[in-house]
Amino acid sequence: MGTMHIDGHEIPFQENDNILKAALAANIEIPYFCYHAALGSLGACRLCAVEIAPEDPNKKPRVVMSCLEPAKDGINVSVSAAAARQVRQTVIEFLMVNHPHDCPVCDEGGECRLQDMTVACGPPYRRYRGRKRTFTNQYLGPLVHHEMNRCITCYRCTRFYQDYALGDDLGAMRLRNEVYFGRFQEGPLTSPFAGNVIEVCPTGVFTDAVFRQHFARVWDLETAPSICPHCSVGCNTLPGARDGTLRRVCNRFHPEINRWFICDRGRYGHQYSEHPDRPLTAQVSGVKVSYREALAAAAEQIKAARDRTGGLGSTREDLESNAILQTLLNKLSGRFATFSDPQLETATTAAVAALQSSGGAPSLSEIEQADAALVVGDLTTHAPMMDLALRQAYRTGAKLAILHSGPSLLTRFAATTLTVAPHEIGAHLLHLNEQAATASTTSNKHENEKKLADIATYLTTAQRPILIGVSETMAAPEITALAQLANALGSRARLAYALPGANAYGTALLTPTNSTTAMLEAIESGQIQTLIVMGNDPLGDTRLGARWREARQCLSTFIVSDCVATATAEAADILLPVAAWTERGGTFVNYEGRAQGFAPVFQRAEPLPNTAEVLADLAHCLELALPDAAAVLSNIFPGYQAPLPGTLGSSLSAFPLTMQTETPIGSAPLGHPGHWQVTLASWYGDDVLASYAPALVELAPPAAALIHPTAALKERIEDKEQVRLRGPAGTVVLSVQLNNDVAADTIALARVTLAQLGVGHGDLLELERIS
Amino acid sequence: MNKQIPTLLIRLWRSLWATLRHAWVKRETVPYPEIKRSLPGRWRGRIVLTRDPDGEERCVACYLCSAVCPVDCIHLQAAQLDNGRRYPETFRIDFSRCIFCGFCEEACPTLAIQLTPDFEMCEQSHGELVYEKKQLLIEDQGKHPGYNFYRHAGIAIPGKAIGGGVSDTPPVDHDTNLP
Ligand code: SF4
Ligand code: SF4
Ligand code: SF4
Ligand code: SF4
Ligand code: FES
Repeated sequence: MGTMHIDGHEIPFQENDNILKAALAANIEIPYFCYHAALGSLGACRLCAVEIAPEDPNKKPRVVMSCLEPAKDGINVSVSAAAARQVRQTVIEFLMVNHPHDCPVCDEGGECRLQDMTVACGPPYRRYRGRKRTFTNQYLGPLVHHEMNRCITCYRCTRFYQDYALGDDLGAMRLRNEVYFGRFQEGPLTSPFAGNVIEVCPTGVFTDAVFRQHFARVWDLETAPSICPHCSVGCNTLPGARDGTLRRVCNRFHPEINRWFICDRGRYGHQYSEHPDRPLTAQVSGVKVSYREALAAAAEQIKAARDRTGGLGSTREDLESNAILQTLLNKLSGRFATFSDPQLETATTAAVAALQSSGGAPSLSEIEQADAALVVGDLTTHAPMMDLALRQAYRTGAKLAILHSGPSLLTRFAATTLTVAPHEIGAHLLHLNEQAATASTTSNKHENEKKLADIATYLTTAQRPILIGVSETMAAPEITALAQLANALGSRARLAYALPGANAYGTALLTPTNSTTAMLEAIESGQIQTLIVMGNDPLGDTRLGARWREARQCLSTFIVSDCVATATAEAADILLPVAAWTERGGTFVNYEGRAQGFAPVFQRAEPLPNTAEVLADLAHCLELALPDAAAVLSNIFPGYQAPLPGTLGSSLSAFPLTMQTETPIGSAPLGHPGHWQVTLASWYGDDVLASYAPALVELAPPAAALIHPTAALKERIEDKEQVRLRGPAGTVVLSVQLNNDVAADTIALARVTLAQLGVGHGDLLELERIS
Repeated sequence: MNKQIPTLLIRLWRSLWATLRHAWVKRETVPYPEIKRSLPGRWRGRIVLTRDPDGEERCVACYLCSAVCPVDCIHLQAAQLDNGRRYPETFRIDFSRCIFCGFCEEACPTLAIQLTPDFEMCEQSHGELVYEKKQLLIEDQGKHPGYNFYRHAGIAIPGKAIGGGVSDTPPVDHDTNLP
């Protein structure tokens, strides 16, 4: 847009840039505290002073705040001018007046912006000899540690927490030079993005409470570019390890995905890799053996079973492992599947097929640009950062519409919320399709009809509408209906799905049609004797766990490899522990179909192999010639090149998937008295790996049966009353919690409860009062 | 050639005389190890971890000594008590690598790590020269008595709440907007 001069360098700038932003983009250092690329300028810290030479030589130069001064063509800016330096030095000296003598015990030390700026701009010694102002600290939950004395009042924390992430329980209090940043009352921060204040705060006021328990300085940490394994968004992370243990996970900038932030599941879920129950030694029939012995035992069983071998991949295993497992099973003429639930398989493959034919999902930074969005399901708990992107769209005025059946944090920001039972979601989507096609303004009386008309209006009038579905809580026909809606809205509409697992997209591309059902039936009929499960937990499945547990009895050998102690790993005959995600390299394909590579960050004292290596070793024991991962993948995906860790990732050129089953959307099941539809009440830390992270799990909501007040009134159930729930796999007694975000005739339950009962999202359940 | 002979003789006698004279001078060398010299307090020898005036560990496990060490011979792991005090869970110095430069002492913000005038550290193997915390931590304040880091820091520990430091004012009550 123009050029200005900073200390003799020509600096280009864009329209609406301020001097600081343009300078930083050109790698010119101007000291600052309160400016943040995502949070903008505030002018609170006064550190970014620069001098601007006057146009009229008779006038004096001005010292201005570079973060507030618009860049103008031809101006002469000086960062090194004596006047500007003096301002910066004074600012630092005043900040240091009250700053505590804390650096040795402060976890920020070493990556502290205040330390850096003080060394760069400040006076070398403190002249002030008086007393210092102090603040008490608050308990902010198990994730964030608070040490308020160190605050420099830059307001970055509240600007992130309140303005950017739209949280409401952290803010500024009091006045003058005694402004306090904290909660109104002590207690855990409630935002799913709270952990970002650690990185946003330029000082040690907010530090990582989990890292603190086993602290190491940043200069001692081993790091490598990694990808978050906790959901399908594929945020870029920078884990830090020391002495063979993982210490923390930080955000790593990716311009199109997570940018400067990650969610708390991604930041704190890593504790699974240091969980005391994590399997680290191979086992055969419960006895600890060496890796080689376990491998030999597995090979012997597979040799005996030959084509009666099955392999179950996983959506949380990387692309390489799934592809090699498939190749191995092909060589053995065995059976390959990747999901533990057929419904999840059809839904995920339908979602991937829809994404392929819709021209690809929008990136998070594109979602931020949306001006209307329809979300089907509870997005926050399945793809937290997608929710944060939608919050940015909301901040700029986008109309959000939410079609859901259970609690969802996003409903607070929705212009229209349509809460319907799981079985009615499909019908509502079809209806919306009709509405969008005809664009008719029906003056129908029914409330839901009106809401549908509203949603249709938002979507049809928007320039950049986005439709997002949560595939785990949608059936395949609903996925297809959403894709049709996107189609009907034309090319300006974009379609995205939150998929179940970090590599769900990649795994779906490898999944044979209806493989889960076929696998289960083959095991039950004795056609499969030996089953290899890689990073999957069929025995802990919510809907089919009980059936898998029974099927497992039909197997002669059950071989499991995983990095967490799932129900499946505990039931294994042969257990082959593998490296955690931070200990290995591989490729995940995120919800956009973007393949992203990650590198091993560190090695444990006794290194574990990764899944692909286990399979290669197994093939070696079986005397099978297995090509390496690169060869296998370039066979499957034409022109495949492994994406390098630390790059932006590349899209996979895959053949188009076909929708598996074209079953029409069924009508709602007839309501039997005493029967309720089940909806999944998830929470933002809910994922297989993160459920082994103690600090995060501390925040999980207590198990309860969530019911809408009207439904409760109808059945004469009271709040906090104990009820007995009966499902195919068991009975659970829970207390009732009334919740306005649950649909009528629906009961919202946590994932653990669903697994105990043996029901999945959308199934029916019997509820019985205990009087 | 002949002219040089007197000069050479004079030189020879001069050194003989000096030797003779030193035979009656007080001796500087001592028969070590039977007799040990006392070394100056700032001698840079065996490293210790000292305690504060209250008898508590001084080291707060800040990692600065291990960062500054030019031969990387200090290894520690931080831990903390529930009450807020930080301490090193493990503290290890490899004296077979240590070059006794004293940088760690210079870097230590709590005056915990100190070099002492002891240099008698011969061992049979390298492994025995790796000192663990129990060998390093002494029951004394060392050469800097009287300093207690926590009295000056902003964080709270038992016996010192926020605002209780030597140069602190009582904490601000953030629940009110009155001046
Ligand atoms: S915030 Fe920075 S300057 Fe302040 S005590 Fe912590 S490390 Fe030191
Ligand atoms: S707590 Fe941190 S981010 Fe918030 S105002 Fe203080 S220094 Fe800035
Ligand atoms: S949004 Fe998903 S990928 Fe991103 S940090 Fe959170 S859990 Fe990880
Ligand atoms: S510098 Fe001092 S306080 Fe810090 S770790 Fe070393 S001995 Fe401990
Ligand atoms: S960055 Fe400009 S005033 Fe803080």
